[in-house]
Amino acid sequence: MSEQKGLALILRTGPGSSIQDQGRILGSQFGIPSSGVMDQKSFFWVNHILQNSPNEAVLEISSPGFSIQFDSPALVSIAGAKAFVTLNSQEEANPSLIAIQKGDILEIGRFFHGSRVYLGIKDGFQSPIFLESRSFFTSITGQSMIRKGDKLDFQAFNSYSISPVKAKPRWNSAWFEGKELKAFKGPDWHLLSSDQQEKIRKTEFHISKLSNRMGIQLEELVENLLPELPTNPVFPGTIQLTSGGKLLILMRDSGVTGGYPRILQLSEESVSLLSQKNPGQAIRFLVKDF
Amino acid sequence: MELKPSYLQLTPKMGELVWQYYPSDDLLAVQLGYIKLLQDLFSDQLIEWRQGFTRISVVWKEETGHHQFQKLLSILDPEPVKLPEQTWEIPVCYDESLGSDLVNFCDEKELSSDQLISFHTEPTYRIHFFGFLPGFFYLNGLPEILHSPRKAIPSLSVPTGSVAIGGAQTGIYPCQSPGGWHCIGRTPITLFDPKSSSPVWAKPGDQIKFKPISLKEFENWSDANCFFIKG
Repeated sequence: MSEQKGLALILRTGPGSSIQDQGRILGSQFGIPSSGVMDQKSFFWVNHILQNSPNEAVLEISSPGFSIQFDSPALVSIAGAKAFVTLNSQEEANPSLIAIQKGDILEIGRFFHGSRVYLGIKDGFQSPIFLESRSFFTSITGQSMIRKGDKLDFQAFNSYSISPVKAKPRWNSAWFEGKELKAFKGPDWHLLSSDQQEKIRKTEFHISKLSNRMGIQLEELVENLLPELPTNPVFPGTIQLTSGGKLLILMRDSGVTGGYPRILQLSEESVSLLSQKNPGQAIRFLVKDF
Repeated sequence: MELKPSYLQLTPKMGELVWQYYPSDDLLAVQLGYIKLLQDLFSDQLIEWRQGFTRISVVWKEETGHHQFQKLLSILDPEPVKLPEQTWEIPVCYDESLGSDLVNFCDEKELSSDQLISFHTEPTYRIHFFGFLPGFFYLNGLPEILHSPRKAIPSLSVPTGSVAIGGAQTGIYPCQSPGGWHCIGRTPITLFDPKSSSPVWAKPGDQIKFKPISLKEFENWSDANCFFIKG
């Protein structure tokens, strides 16, 4: 099996797409956000299908109108949001495993449901590693998103020019259609009045347009009479109640500490589910006692 | 002072050490003792820990981590770490061309810029931890006269090296970022280098002192590094 370097050229991309892996856990002591894929569930799935090690870097594609051309054979897998996928303008009805030939153009058109598509490749995209991670983050990797004309390295394997695909697995996205997010009581939950707690348990919240890889804001307000607190640790999935009464759900690129009350902490599965929600969609919190 | 924390389990794998005290050198020394304990005895069971002013959060690989840690805490108090005596000196140019909020801040406080500079450069500040941005120090020690609520509307872009005041805190933006603090000056030195294996030169517990420099010195500053001075 001969191994050679392949290059994938970005022909077209919308804003917000980037290379991600599981993120840089070691950076938190220096104040570095963990970054990493928003939806870990889809990420682990594509690497599993490709028989990669679990942390190989993938493309996280967060808007339609994406097009990439490969200069060498490759094997790719697509999961996450359900989208219209074509290979050389032919629709790929099941894109969970696609054998790519030299010169092939893969395109991702409109999203049917979900918010982020994950494009994995055999052995992962080989962008530079900083602090043990390839995840894009401006002040670490110098780039926060991929741009038209970028060339991404990958390992090409000629053996894939013979179609290897037998029984194709099918990606099932039903798991992110629900609106219930499992949340544990955060360190400052007990500072809320029972009315506020009740409101947070009962309200159907909606995702605001002010949502990105740093955080997802919710539309509905919860009155906040709490004092300013000392700055303390936060994590992806920490829900803060801001001074203006907005709920802010911190995501992968958020800072490692924060000063707003930390009222809830989402389960890891719920962070993945939330990552597939779009502005305007409804969510509810299922508040768990630990 | 009894500074024994309680332990709060938050999720199957996350928990935190809780102190009900205001941030201080004594509390920091105790916190750093607990971090050393975590690193020495639990590193193989930990995914990561994060430090704040009054908490240390811990993420365990397995749920059993909580119980083993709590069991140990019930019989053992780690020694507080001796905080360093040495101090880093950070040059800052307090010129209104570099500190975009300097004039407004002085007006608000009814201080001359010389008075502001002397209040800001007089204390020795203690680094408690890093957060907000890569390489951003959380410092304790800002004189009360300089405390000022954060801006109602944050600035969309605060330049790299900006020295700023927000609430009861002062800090330096290691990279360009949106921010709600009042910018009173700028440092020419580099605070964060992602290409280095130790991306920041200081560590929690170290002290820093600001040293005023002129605009000319700022513009001609050639050394991006910072050096220890005697504390």
